[in-house]
Amino acid sequence: MALLEVKDLEIAVAAGGALLPVVRGVSFSVDENETLGIVGESGCGKSLTSLAIMGLLEGSQLRLTGGSISFDGRELNSLSPNERRAIMGDQMAMIFQEPMTSLNPVYRIGDQIVETIRQHRDMSKRQASDRAVELLDLVRIPEPARRIDSFPHQMSGGQRQRVMIAMALACDPKLLIADEPTTALDVTVQKEVLDLMADLQTRMGTAIVLISHDLGVIAETCDKVAVMYRGKIVEAASAAALFANISHPYTRGLLNSIPVVDHDVEWLEAIPGRVPTIDETLPGCAFHPRCSMAEIRCSAEDPAPHDVATGHTVRCHFAGKGTV
Amino acid sequence: MTNTPLLQVRELHTHFRTGGGIFAEKTWLRAVNGISFDIHAGEVLSLVGESGCGKSTVGRTLTQLEPSTSGAALFNGQDILPMTASAFRPLRRDIQMIFQDPFASLNPRLTIEQTLTEPLFIHGLAASKTEARALIADTLELVGMAPKVMERYPHEFSGGQRQRIGIARVMILKPKLVIADEAVSALDVSIQAQVLNLIKELQRDSGMSMLFISHDLGVVRHISDRVAVMYQGQIVETGDKRQIFEAPQHEYTKRLLSAIPRITERVA
Amino acid sequence: MNMLRTFLAMFRGRKLATIGLIWLCIVGLAAIAAPLIAPFDPLEIDPVERLSEPGLPYLFGTDHFGRDSFSRAIYGARMAVIIGLGSVIVALVTGGLVGMLSAYFTRLGHVLMRGIDVLMAFPALLLALVLMTLLERSVTNTIIVIGIVYATTTARILFGMTLKLKGETFVDAAICSGAGHGSILFRHILPNLISPLLVQASFIFAFAQLQAAALDFLGLGLPPEVPSWGNMLSEERIYVTRAPWLLIFPGALIILSVFSMNLVGDAMRDSIDPRFKDDIAGV
Repeated sequence: MALLEVKDLEIAVAAGGALLPVVRGVSFSVDENETLGIVGESGCGKSLTSLAIMGLLEGSQLRLTGGSISFDGRELNSLSPNERRAIMGDQMAMIFQEPMTSLNPVYRIGDQIVETIRQHRDMSKRQASDRAVELLDLVRIPEPARRIDSFPHQMSGGQRQRVMIAMALACDPKLLIADEPTTALDVTVQKEVLDLMADLQTRMGTAIVLISHDLGVIAETCDKVAVMYRGKIVEAASAAALFANISHPYTRGLLNSIPVVDHDVEWLEAIPGRVPTIDETLPGCAFHPRCSMAEIRCSAEDPAPHDVATGHTVRCHFAGKGTV
Repeated sequence: MTNTPLLQVRELHTHFRTGGGIFAEKTWLRAVNGISFDIHAGEVLSLVGESGCGKSTVGRTLTQLEPSTSGAALFNGQDILPMTASAFRPLRRDIQMIFQDPFASLNPRLTIEQTLTEPLFIHGLAASKTEARALIADTLELVGMAPKVMERYPHEFSGGQRQRIGIARVMILKPKLVIADEAVSALDVSIQAQVLNLIKELQRDSGMSMLFISHDLGVVRHISDRVAVMYQGQIVETGDKRQIFEAPQHEYTKRLLSAIPRITERVA
Repeated sequence: MNMLRTFLAMFRGRKLATIGLIWLCIVGLAAIAAPLIAPFDPLEIDPVERLSEPGLPYLFGTDHFGRDSFSRAIYGARMAVIIGLGSVIVALVTGGLVGMLSAYFTRLGHVLMRGIDVLMAFPALLLALVLMTLLERSVTNTIIVIGIVYATTTARILFGMTLKLKGETFVDAAICSGAGHGSILFRHILPNLISPLLVQASFIFAFAQLQAAALDFLGLGLPPEVPSWGNMLSEERIYVTRAPWLLIFPGALIILSVFSMNLVGDAMRDSIDPRFKDDIAGV
């Protein structure tokens, strides 16, 4: 039994009385000491999936319309809000994209970490504060004993993101969900933050779900990869298997779209067209209007998930039939 | 053919006042702190660096969106920095800018036609509305959009389409130098590739020069002829694209290049 | 047609604001068609019929000169609309220009906005009183004074909004196209200010009614013979015990109209650009 198991997750957005599906039948699992990468472009549903796991969909236009999310053997959707709150921040923690807005600007960072710890652990202020210093040291903030008295605006973007990671790790969570944790950061800082996360994982055995639009980041840090397009996972496999045998035309297109630093390409093989908006209904495969391989069948019949190898699943009629 | 560069920037400084007043000493942020570079006709020079290194300020200074503190920028031999706004106005036709955020760079209250007509009339490139419409239609086709979209408003378009319109606004003036400030950074990967191809194609076909400002080394390698690496307000290394990417000299360039996450396709 | 539809869409699901809008339409109609609706000449004095109770033929009764209160109330609606629209135009044009120019030309702004600060140091009514004592009582002067009072707040609000818009990328883009100051201010910035300006106008309209009534009541506003709701209150206040309807009707009209205008203003404010919502906090 995996630590986190998401099965047939369905999310819809309420718009003008109708429910438009935005995440459709997403399933994946993550184990201890494992990093799952979810990659896709804006609007593909990757962030919504993470919000659903954290139970943060409520109070918006978004509705969880189906599926199950089980964490450590417990079905999260059947828990009461109080039980859920006890798990969040303790056994499950989240890192957001924007470290500037996720930290409260009027509190010292030390106090914010202490607050998080004391919500879940029976500790004195003194003990919690010592733990805060320890955590800041862990995320390699220099002079942690002095820095706990800093306000968020006194730190750089990279440092704030480290503080966010420290907060997330405050209670030794079993699962860490990181939604675009390095998108707002410079590449050199990004590397440091990603290295830090990998290092913490080896030490503590945390399971990580890393959500990113950057295939490079995913390729370098993840054990397993799920590629999402328009609310569905179109290709999923171990990172090694996926990059050895890319089998969905969208994954291939995404990869070809990225200009690489290590050699020259005259023209990029861009995917034509644009991501359809959520209110457009498309029969058949959602990718067919942009797909170079599309045939009549693709516009009529939505491909079912198909295994091209053990643990390598692809949603394409041509999966496993030649290269993409 | 002469060998004088189209644009020669010498010892450019742009400083911003960050504090001070009656009681405190004035403090300055030296966003651009003495940089020099040349751009030749038909050449693409990239200015690459991390956030806060001053690369965007260079572009904004060269288009007089920020006043320079000192230095010179010779465009066709003429120093553009000390020019008054009205003296610089005719030159704006030749020095155009593509902005980063396609959602913010178009006036939400104007139709695409209104947005694109304005520069034509300002620079006297069209005598009548009909003439302007014909030019706009051609330019929209050039950037891969149907001419009929000119009647619509910016909110009706996606990010990629808006950036194409932003490019059309630049191309309609047939500029000699285009400053592209993070022109593709706000776009999704698949759209970014389309727009990058478009920019490269337009640059090749028109022979214009370009100052391409970006933090993305992959994009920079794809588009440029030469690269200047900026760090803390200064250029630490300039060279041909090959040289910068394959034999970087400066420590900072090396650090930048090694930090990029790479995808190694393991061919089975 | 399209604009009317979006305007009406603002009132969907807002019962109170819709009632307010309907009331304002009635006031507006009364103002336009006053001579057709009013059964009597609002200025005609008839000592025999003075202070008669509401009923037929005098729906709202008659005042102490024997003038028909209902007819005066109808013409009062006309005055209310004239004062409201006039003040709105004066306030928006002068305040709007000062605010926009101050934000756009920073140095000019330092001077102009300090002047606005000085004017804003006075409470609105006090400022109006001071200005009115310097001028003759007339419709035009009342409009000018109320307009100037609300021009100060309008200038402040537009100053803030213009400053925000000036930093927008599309303004930079217009500069790079070679657009001059006039084009940037009036073609690129102003159209983005229209909807917040309309909301601001609705609040000024409402508050102008209160100001005008207060000035009339204190004997500093419109000339006494002009039929306005404020003058009706002012002139008949000593008959409050003998003929309370002479105060109840105009008083109720003022309250209803101001309240309606505020409801309509709120509905409009809720549907404008979220960036500017915080700027408009009433006047």
